[in-house]
Amino acid sequence: MATISFDLVSPENLVFNDEVGTIIVPGKDGDLGILPGHSKVMSSLRPGRVMVYSEDKNLIKSFFVSGGFAEINPEKCIVLAESVVEVNSLEKTSIEKEIQELENKEGKESEEQLSVAKAKLEAINVNYYHKI
Amino acid sequence: MPSLKDIKTQINSVGSTKKITSAMKMVAASKLRRSQEKAEAARPYSSRLEEMLSSLASSAASGEGIIKLLTGTGNDQNYVVVPVSADRGLCGGFNSSINRETFKLVKSLEGNGKKVQLMPVGKKSRDFFNRVMKDQIIESFVDLNVSSTGYESALNISNKLQELYFDGKFDKCILVFNKFKSAISQEVTQQQLIPLDVSNSEKEEEKENSSNAIYDYEPDEETILKDLLPKNVSIQIFKVLLESDAGEQGARMAAMDNATRNAGEMIDSLTLKYNRTRQAFITKELIEIISGAESI
Repeated sequence: MATISFDLVSPENLVFNDEVGTIIVPGKDGDLGILPGHSKVMSSLRPGRVMVYSEDKNLIKSFFVSGGFAEINPEKCIVLAESVVEVNSLEKTSIEKEIQELENKEGKESEEQLSVAKAKLEAINVNYYHKI
Repeated sequence: MPSLKDIKTQINSVGSTKKITSAMKMVAASKLRRSQEKAEAARPYSSRLEEMLSSLASSAASGEGIIKLLTGTGNDQNYVVVPVSADRGLCGGFNSSINRETFKLVKSLEGNGKKVQLMPVGKKSRDFFNRVMKDQIIESFVDLNVSSTGYESALNISNKLQELYFDGKFDKCILVFNKFKSAISQEVTQQQLIPLDVSNSEKEEEKENSSNAIYDYEPDEETILKDLLPKNVSIQIFKVLLESDAGEQGARMAAMDNATRNAGEMIDSLTLKYNRTRQAFITKELIEIISGAESI
């Protein structure tokens, strides 16, 4: 089984850079599973979960991204994300509080923040495979 | 002739100045390292973004809405100039060179009959332009604290710029900032931010494109471009802020190094003067004693 090189980049730094087996990224119109040899795709991302699996299909890491872009070619996958957090470090209670606060506010900006916060919550709650 | 005590006081005060400047130099040096690391860490993102953008740019037809960030408004009558300076002084010619360059740019644009507005970033340029062209300032950004909340500040600036741009308030935006060349040298650079200048990167991309197959786009090129363009503006600003921050620390380090050395030289020459004066007093006293003894 071959590997594909994966870069996760945020404006502040390079978050992840390694050879991996599979990556799942939250594409705008639905999740994309990326295996080595994937055809060339450029996609924008919705807020959601980027999951990284090793060559033997075990989950290595999972990150929450608040949107961004993915550039995919057969050897390499690059994800440019505006903000990146590891899903394990997200705290359910504080996000729920944030959502409540944002729901009371109005305006375009807080609406955007709200959708990001909701996606965060979803990212914690959603079921996913530890092994595929 | 100054008394011995005067010289002594002077030596002491120069000595304490020297202590301060050498401490500032150390602080600037360690901050410089951090800023430099930050600037380097941000590089992969901005270069990737640029690559993506330039491969998309060719597909953009002249259009409405966000695409205008790329294609321009079709006019070039109204300019916004954004000088990026530091919040604090004591860093040599760092701030004044930005202000001078911006001033020159504004004057030459105005000479060509353009309307120019200013959006200074950093206290030093805000204060300067508040004095000389107060009515042309539309907004200013100070206390950015680039090293900790740089990206948020960049977002603020870029949101404001885009808001004004889509309101039709200006046609072109030019950044003036200090490009970080090395720890001791910065270069005042002008960069056109809006509309995006892809001419340089496009050429490289053409080479790459010939060997690479075309990408599939999801959802489609236009949607991606619409997401990408505003983001690119923020990222460019972020990059400039980081460069300018690193440059500021470098400039401060060099300036303080100079000041420390000058203080050292001054102390040396003052000490020499002190010793000479002391010797002169002793000699004078001796002569007085001897001539007094002789006269008896």
